[in-house]
Amino acid sequence: MKNKRFAIVLDTRRCIDCKACTVACKAENDVPLGSENYRNWVGEEKLRGQYPNLGQSFTPCQCQHCGNPPCAHVCPTKATEVNQDGIVHVVADKCIGCKYCMTACPYNARYYNEEIEAVDKCTFCTHRVYAGREPACVETCPTKVRVFGDLNDPSSEVSKLLTKYPSRVLKESQGTKPYLIYII
Amino acid sequence: MARLIDKKLSRRRFLGTSSCALAVATVGSQTTVLKALASSGKVTTSKGAGTKDVFTACGMCVNKCGVIARVRDGRIHKLDPNPEFIKSRGMLCARGNAGVKVIYDADRLKYPLIRVGKRGEGKWRRASWDEALDLVAKNMNEIAEKYTRAGVMFASTEGTFQEHFFLQMAECFGSPNTVRHPTLCLSSNIQGFGATYGTNPTPDVLNADYIIMAGANRSEALITPDSIDQLKGDGGRRKLIYLDPRFTKTAAKADEWYPIKPGTDLAFILAMINVIISEGRYAKEFVEEMTVGFDKLVPHVKPYTPEWAAKETEIPAEDIRRIAREFAAAAPKAIYYQGRRSSFFTNDTQLRRAMAILNAIIGNWDTEGGMVPNSKIKLVKHDYLAPWYDDVPERIDKGSAAFLSEKDGSWINLRNRVLEAKPYPVKGMMIYKQNVVMSVPNRAKTLKMMDQMDFICTIDIVMSDTAWYSDVVLPEATYLERQDPLESLSGILPVVAFRQPCVEPLFESKPNLWIMQNLAKRLGSEVAETFDFTMDEHIHHQVSKNPQILKDLKSKGVHYMKVLPTYGLTKGKRLKTKTGKIEIYSANYAKKGLDPLPTYTKHEDVPANKFRLLVGRSAIFTHGTTANNAYLHDIMPENTLWLNTLSAKKMGLRDGQRVKVKSRVGEGTLKLEVTEKIRPDCVYMAHGFGVISKGQSLIFDRGACDAALIEDKVEPISGNAAMHQTFVEVSPA
Amino acid sequence: MTLLKHRPSFKLWVGVLAIGVVVGIVGTGNVLLNGHSAVYNVTREIPWGILIATYVFLVVSSTGLCLVSSLGHVFGIEKFDFIGKRAIILAILTLLCGFGAIGMELTHPIRMGLYTIISPNFSSPIWWMGTLYGLYLVLLCAELFFLMKGMHKGAFAMGMIGFIAAITAHSNLGAVFGLLEARPYWHGSFLPIYFIVSALVSGGAIVSMIVYFNHKTTGEPMPQKYEDFMGTLGKLQALFLLILVFFVVWKIIPGLYGHPPEKYEATVAVLSGPLAFNFWFFEVLLGLAIPVILLLNKKTRTPYGVMMAGLSSTVGIFFMRYDLVIAGQLVSMREGTADLVGGLLQYSPSVTEIAIVIGAISTCLLLYTIAERLLPLESDH
Repeated sequence: MKNKRFAIVLDTRRCIDCKACTVACKAENDVPLGSENYRNWVGEEKLRGQYPNLGQSFTPCQCQHCGNPPCAHVCPTKATEVNQDGIVHVVADKCIGCKYCMTACPYNARYYNEEIEAVDKCTFCTHRVYAGREPACVETCPTKVRVFGDLNDPSSEVSKLLTKYPSRVLKESQGTKPYLIYII
Repeated sequence: MARLIDKKLSRRRFLGTSSCALAVATVGSQTTVLKALASSGKVTTSKGAGTKDVFTACGMCVNKCGVIARVRDGRIHKLDPNPEFIKSRGMLCARGNAGVKVIYDADRLKYPLIRVGKRGEGKWRRASWDEALDLVAKNMNEIAEKYTRAGVMFASTEGTFQEHFFLQMAECFGSPNTVRHPTLCLSSNIQGFGATYGTNPTPDVLNADYIIMAGANRSEALITPDSIDQLKGDGGRRKLIYLDPRFTKTAAKADEWYPIKPGTDLAFILAMINVIISEGRYAKEFVEEMTVGFDKLVPHVKPYTPEWAAKETEIPAEDIRRIAREFAAAAPKAIYYQGRRSSFFTNDTQLRRAMAILNAIIGNWDTEGGMVPNSKIKLVKHDYLAPWYDDVPERIDKGSAAFLSEKDGSWINLRNRVLEAKPYPVKGMMIYKQNVVMSVPNRAKTLKMMDQMDFICTIDIVMSDTAWYSDVVLPEATYLERQDPLESLSGILPVVAFRQPCVEPLFESKPNLWIMQNLAKRLGSEVAETFDFTMDEHIHHQVSKNPQILKDLKSKGVHYMKVLPTYGLTKGKRLKTKTGKIEIYSANYAKKGLDPLPTYTKHEDVPANKFRLLVGRSAIFTHGTTANNAYLHDIMPENTLWLNTLSAKKMGLRDGQRVKVKSRVGEGTLKLEVTEKIRPDCVYMAHGFGVISKGQSLIFDRGACDAALIEDKVEPISGNAAMHQTFVEVSPA
Repeated sequence: MTLLKHRPSFKLWVGVLAIGVVVGIVGTGNVLLNGHSAVYNVTREIPWGILIATYVFLVVSSTGLCLVSSLGHVFGIEKFDFIGKRAIILAILTLLCGFGAIGMELTHPIRMGLYTIISPNFSSPIWWMGTLYGLYLVLLCAELFFLMKGMHKGAFAMGMIGFIAAITAHSNLGAVFGLLEARPYWHGSFLPIYFIVSALVSGGAIVSMIVYFNHKTTGEPMPQKYEDFMGTLGKLQALFLLILVFFVVWKIIPGLYGHPPEKYEATVAVLSGPLAFNFWFFEVLLGLAIPVILLLNKKTRTPYGVMMAGLSSTVGIFFMRYDLVIAGQLVSMREGTADLVGGLLQYSPSVTEIAIVIGAISTCLLLYTIAERLLPLESDH
């Protein structure tokens, strides 16, 4: 879509690691079965402290739809494309299965999909978004960790959240300019 | 961009149509499952029906959240949350999303089966519905003839919206021996709060400022809307205190976590009451006006000081004192959350009573952020005239608990009496979707009870362990294929939910009403007459006093009357207790010879070289029903035994090695998970694994079964199971 | 030639290679029947396994052969002239078998041919690597053609361009790894240069074996010319190896110094982790120490000794490639990954993967053996 820059803003304080997003994504996008096949996951971060003083955080994650996506740079056949709205996606027919993008992605967001015979990844549920709906992971989340929207629109909820709160992105030093933005 | 959409659609269309064509061999697991389904040769899906969205209710757990099924070409593609469904705050959890793998599951029961080998051997032959139902009716009648009608017991699940047809069958057939899940679950809770308030109120989690959760793991044992409302997210003032021997995902979200010594929660609460009363922090006017027996409580809690409780609970006295003060200061927007599954210890009813009393003395009854009595939207009940049989005795477990539910019974007590054939033999079992082999503590005893049955019939959607040990197995349609009656879900914001078929039932599966009606026909006209209605008629009868309910359900998938809570409806009215007030002191209990005020009793300590076995929930599993779900299985393929790092070190056990766990009643082998997240004197395993049935292909031979290990101890007031009083030995396998 | 076929050791050699080829065919069949995910041990986290390592090993060998042979007909060092045809033909074969190995790793080798042409991505190191190696293959074939026809001018021209193509293609192979910012163990300008240096070692080692065994099969005593060549090659090889030692040491030190994130864990994995045996036994002992000792010692720098040094370092270099490819992926890209062992991801090649590796190397050697029999490769100008 033109003149848009889609992003997901996450408030991980709300995440209870229930995996609803992971399963919703799998069903919505016909991701093949198998524990390695997923577009979307919840990272259980390292347990902090020792019994009985413990702490743990959960980081829901998926493709970061980078502003500077290394996966797209390294693909020999331009099978990874970036839409005008920033959504990064794979054109399955062009994928030769070299898995270079999988080694290039610092977020491990890609997997090889045996059913479509191509590397596969989160598309921000493009088919839903372009039909005016939210991505499946956003919609299904019990505690509403994720908020999806257009950062080019200053009145969108994502823009407002990023104005209100300080935030961070994962592996900023990689220079990938991610658009999965975590509220601190 | 447009091309991308086209591509996506065409790919999905491919997957969609492949489920119709089915004969064509294609790569991939999605289609493999469908191919496997098709091996029975009986998949019929309406072709070219295009896309439709169907409002229905989830059936994966107790919550029954609102769902919109996205159906494409006769196949359910995705289950989305219904944003209008206010009880679940418009969400759908992992299990809800995994519902598509319940209907499209190669392990589904496809047609009636009759056992041909020995019981539990797993040899079956396919039968027609006529033959199977004839056989069931014949056996029911024979047992009735030989042992009276009470000789057939009826065990039922909850939440299918069709369980009352099964219970109606029990009543009309003439057996008093119906048994359901509450005594494996929350019956002590209902009893404890009921004895105090006359009802089991709902904590207003959304508006409370101070919440103490003890053993209620709301981030993993998902309850709508509490699991959602517990999170403050936006820098709210709310504080969450969490007590649990395990560092659960709720602990990770809590402001403070205390690994309380199991079995000592009552000491913690009594000490809180002690502090609140001795420091005069209770709601004096409210106590005066709304409660009875406070004067007896004051001297009763005197000895229960925080210093005393610290020794019992292993929570520092200053923390108990501070929490009590903070709790009282936040009142009435403070709640001591009572939890749901309350089958912990043999004094559980008294523990729940103490919780109720603690809440009462800070005056949070029926206020914003407090304990709010449930509202419920009324539906017209289906009336029927059950036939009268002269010679039928009373419930077999009658008198086994101080307060026994007439319909639900007490599972463990009932099983003991059946095994002793006292006061009479029970030789037939009709089971509706309850997986009793997996869920009742001491699996060996359950199997022994089943061994002595003349006949067992199980209605289910998969080959559960219970179905595996049955003589006749009848395939029910899944919740996504059924038209179900309306169900009124009570709460602070009550709703009415319903289910409509998203697709036609696959294979030869049938809705329970159909099964009951056709069984009833074989049991005689008197029984059959009570089932003489269609589902449509039944539903219209339910809404006969308010047709708007059905209109709402059809247009938005849910009916509700209000979207904002109303508080104080009970003000100035009598409560449903004997005195009409909140009974801090229960004269009713005194009369029965029970402690009228909760008195602390010590439980047996963990013996040397043993561990206390804890049970608990995972957010992706519902009891014994979802571990075999393909999507959820991908996330957790087997259960592990949690053992504290220090304990493991002492015993020389490594993370990931296989260990044998042995209790007095059984044993199991599973992988060890060495973790900081559990008390050093406890071990934990997730429920739902270690199945006996080879019909659960993904998890057969995976992990261990907790029901095989847990001893069958019973809480005497409610008849609830006491599941945290089992000690186990752990050794390398 | 006639002597060759009757020798029992030759029959054994061909027999072993034939078995190797059959093993490779069975492995390939298994992949075609069951699909990659069923028979390979590569994962979402470690998508590149032993097949990529084998590809790298074979194309490095090819580059090395090209570079060493160019010493003769491009740079005019006459001593090296006579190995020209053999080196080039083996360079072609190793390159083809390397393509075969990566072809088995790719899931759409045919699509590759199409889309690298109609949808090229000039920012992709793999695109450059593939294109340059394609060009390099053409040049090698042309060079071989001219050599066989005795057209020295053409051979020189092709050799010259081929040399440049080999250097650029090969440094691009280094860049395939070196441009991945996500993989700190690989990232940087080190690998493109390192690959060139290690290619020289590979090339020298293989040339020493070709010369030795070719002569061995004749059953005659080695002429002085060859002995001299082996002596010179031995010295040169010692120099290459010592430079490589230098590179190995300077690969390790920055990986440890200051504990750079992810790079440090990968380096430790090589030095004392899951790859430690490969590193110390194969890379250091077989790949570097033994050859250096054999080659620096005048007494052992005999044709046999030089060949043994070559064989030893070739085995070691295979593990250098394997360890390099795997080590770069052992550190998980995200926190909280389950099933880590000692904080690292795990990979060990599957039987099928190993079968394909055996197949690729055996095919290469078998084809070379056949070429040796069918083509006039002696060049006595």
